[in-house]
Amino acid sequence: MTPQDLPVMDLIPAKRSPWRNLSFVWLVPILALIVSLGVAWQSYSNKGTLITIVFTNAAGITPKDTTIRFRDVIIGAVEDVSFSKDMSQVEVSARINKDVAATLSPETLFWVVRPEVSARGISGLSTVLSGVYIDAAWTPIKGSDARAFEGLSETPLIRPGHEGTRVMIRSKNGTSLTPGAPVFFRGMEVGQLDTPRLSETGDSTDVEAFINAPFDKFLTTDSRFWNLAGFSVTLGPAGLDLNVASLGSLLTGGVAFENVVSGGAPVTDDTLFRLFKNEAAARDSIFTQLSANSITMSVVFGESVSGLASGAPVEFRGLRIGQVTSIGAFIMKNPAGSSVHMRALISIDPQSLGLDADAGKETTQSFIEGLISKGMRARLSTTSIFSSALKIELADIPDALPASLKLDADGTPIIPSVTSDLPDFTATAEGVLERVNKLPIEAVMNQAVSLMASIEAIATAQGTQRAPDAILGLIEDARGLIGKEDTQAIPKELRGVIVDLRSIMAELKERGAVENLSSALDSFDKASADIATASGDLPDLIVDLRAIAAKVQDLKAEELVAAVTRVMESTDALIGTEGAKSIPPALASALTEVQAALRELREGGAVENTNAALASARQAADAVAQAAKNFPDVTAQLNAVISKADALIASYGEKSTFNAETLDLLRELKIAARAVSQLARTIERNPNSLILGR
Amino acid sequence: MENAGNTRLYLTARNAGLIGCTSCGRVHAARAKTCLRCGATLASRDTQSLQKVWAWWLAGVIAFVPANVYPMLKTATLGTETASTLLGGIVELLHHGSIGIAAIVFFASIVIPASKFLAIAYLALGINRPSRLTAHRRHQLYEVVEFVGRWSMIDVFVVAILTALVQLGSAASIHPGIAAVSFALSVAFTMLSAQSFDARLIWDADKDHAK
Repeated sequence: MTPQDLPVMDLIPAKRSPWRNLSFVWLVPILALIVSLGVAWQSYSNKGTLITIVFTNAAGITPKDTTIRFRDVIIGAVEDVSFSKDMSQVEVSARINKDVAATLSPETLFWVVRPEVSARGISGLSTVLSGVYIDAAWTPIKGSDARAFEGLSETPLIRPGHEGTRVMIRSKNGTSLTPGAPVFFRGMEVGQLDTPRLSETGDSTDVEAFINAPFDKFLTTDSRFWNLAGFSVTLGPAGLDLNVASLGSLLTGGVAFENVVSGGAPVTDDTLFRLFKNEAAARDSIFTQLSANSITMSVVFGESVSGLASGAPVEFRGLRIGQVTSIGAFIMKNPAGSSVHMRALISIDPQSLGLDADAGKETTQSFIEGLISKGMRARLSTTSIFSSALKIELADIPDALPASLKLDADGTPIIPSVTSDLPDFTATAEGVLERVNKLPIEAVMNQAVSLMASIEAIATAQGTQRAPDAILGLIEDARGLIGKEDTQAIPKELRGVIVDLRSIMAELKERGAVENLSSALDSFDKASADIATASGDLPDLIVDLRAIAAKVQDLKAEELVAAVTRVMESTDALIGTEGAKSIPPALASALTEVQAALRELREGGAVENTNAALASARQAADAVAQAAKNFPDVTAQLNAVISKADALIASYGEKSTFNAETLDLLRELKIAARAVSQLARTIERNPNSLILGR
Repeated sequence: MENAGNTRLYLTARNAGLIGCTSCGRVHAARAKTCLRCGATLASRDTQSLQKVWAWWLAGVIAFVPANVYPMLKTATLGTETASTLLGGIVELLHHGSIGIAAIVFFASIVIPASKFLAIAYLALGINRPSRLTAHRRHQLYEVVEFVGRWSMIDVFVVAILTALVQLGSAASIHPGIAAVSFALSVAFTMLSAQSFDARLIWDADKDHAK
């Protein structure tokens, strides 16, 4: 069998499976497709949730570019800006990350961050270059489906999501409360204020304050808030008190709080606090705040109540027991006709009278009735000698006419009052100076001048050249006296004293209220002086001064002059005698010496000196007189300033640098007066010194 | 010989019982499996050529979609980030009045890649069905596609250079977008597709149809 014999086989190759021919390259497009779809799906899933924020205007918001941030992390971007249907608002559509959008609470705050320059600094500066962005703040919740929000027109000051306590502060006047003003606790900024707004009734300003988390534990029901208005100038017995808080608060104001008393309960959100106008008022509030069961009484005055204000203290034997709540006038009908009386309503705290905190109205009233029957009467008195502010004093008047607690037309008990004897400080000071002014200094000086003239005449007289031995001795005595140190010092002392006196008077005159008070700004130890002792001292001082003045006035200057004149007359007589005329020639030289000495004395300017000294003394007297004339004006000015600054005098009862200064001044005056009296005494003892002083 | 007026007859290596090396061009006997000079695998015709062409072509088309949809460049200037797509960039250039540059970009980035896809598809389809172009023309078309392929990466180069140069911190910085990668891939796939195409199939097809 040859291969040729074999039937030709129809060889059909096995059909290869199309899959076997498939190239592995097909994996590439499949992979590419998977990757592309993956990318597409990812970018779709990352697209975020569409939300709508409504703003009143969309300044700076640009679609695609404006981002939405939360805690400075971009959480989305604005897609579209359109108008609401009525064109009154702008609707901003934005895509927010899905995860974030699920936590958006319906109260989420959105606001546009723009560059802002305010007193408290510059914020949002980065937006100058990058454009505005929308900031968001919320307290995250779970599974939120809120998608439409209201945008704020301003940056919210207190943002949700911060830990802390939100309290309400109520004040009578919101002028110094600016939005965002800081809240201080012991000088540390612990929170800030929201925008102040009027209360519903419109009689006060409410502002929400947010105290940041770690610090809000210091806030208790006993905390007191006070206004930290930039700086405060307090004019009071303590002088001019200038308080400046932080520079920021100088511009924006601010409030501070502190726990004036301990033991308050922790506060919850929206607790209402009162805002005191300053720290002192806040601290005083624990004394002035009346307890719930304080009783209202009234006092009727027939005299002027100028200086008495609502809030003025009511004191009983010097202790504050209440305050004036209101003052009004009413017409009292008498048989003789009607007269206008002033009625002050006062609140009295039974606790401060020593009664139980829960003492009833009747108990307090009967207690006061008892006091009245013992002679307690109400009267006006000044809060301090330099102020025209008045307080109501419940004082025991020993010889008071019998009276009892009567009821008003509206049932308010009336505490009987007596006319007050308000001390007139102006009159007192004037009196002192008047006395000084009345001193017959000029008369004494005139006499002294004429005396010197007669001495000069005697010295140059012919007869004197032939004076007897006695004269020589006298002259020697006189020379010794002249040469004596302390005699020479007398005019200087006198002049010094006069200069002192004059400077003191000038100081007194020149120191208007303001200078006086501003000098009181000096770092004087505030704790040193205290108004009670100060006011106690002053009358004593005035009495002292008055006594000194009287002494000066009573100086027996006339007698002295008369005595001197008598001496001179007898000397003259002596010179005129026969014996004197026949002087031994041996004495002639001695007399020449005396003559020379006297010439020397004259040439040395003794007379002129004395004249000058006396002239300056006269000037001093004039100055004193002038000052005395001016002083009422000064005090009147002072009074006017003080009444104007009535509001500031709230802290009146405090430590007093002005008083201390006044005391010093008076002490100086006292020393000066003592020097005058010493001089007077010296002259009294040694009248020659006045004559022979160079 | 009714096909497209090409009346010239030519002898192919296959008809002559030979096989040419596509790498170095040496001619071998038909039975040789590897090139004696360069060692490349010899095949008279690549039977899987069309498959590969279509696979790469499909991958290139798929990659070309994100290259146009997604941003090519992310430009951050002073905190504002702008992402621009290919077409967006061209429109922007037109708005700025740079018609010339817009035309160049449009030509280089859209027209050329798109026409390459069309050209390759046309060539691949022309293997199995009659074509209006002569085999010679189709071969020329293939050469052009092959040649243009290596220049298609200019876009990607520009992006790479810009990205490397413009890194001025917050003032200005440029980052490549997804489209840059997609575009590069698309170009690479297209080149591979063109390369997979066995140009000799054009002649066979011509001959088949000519019969």
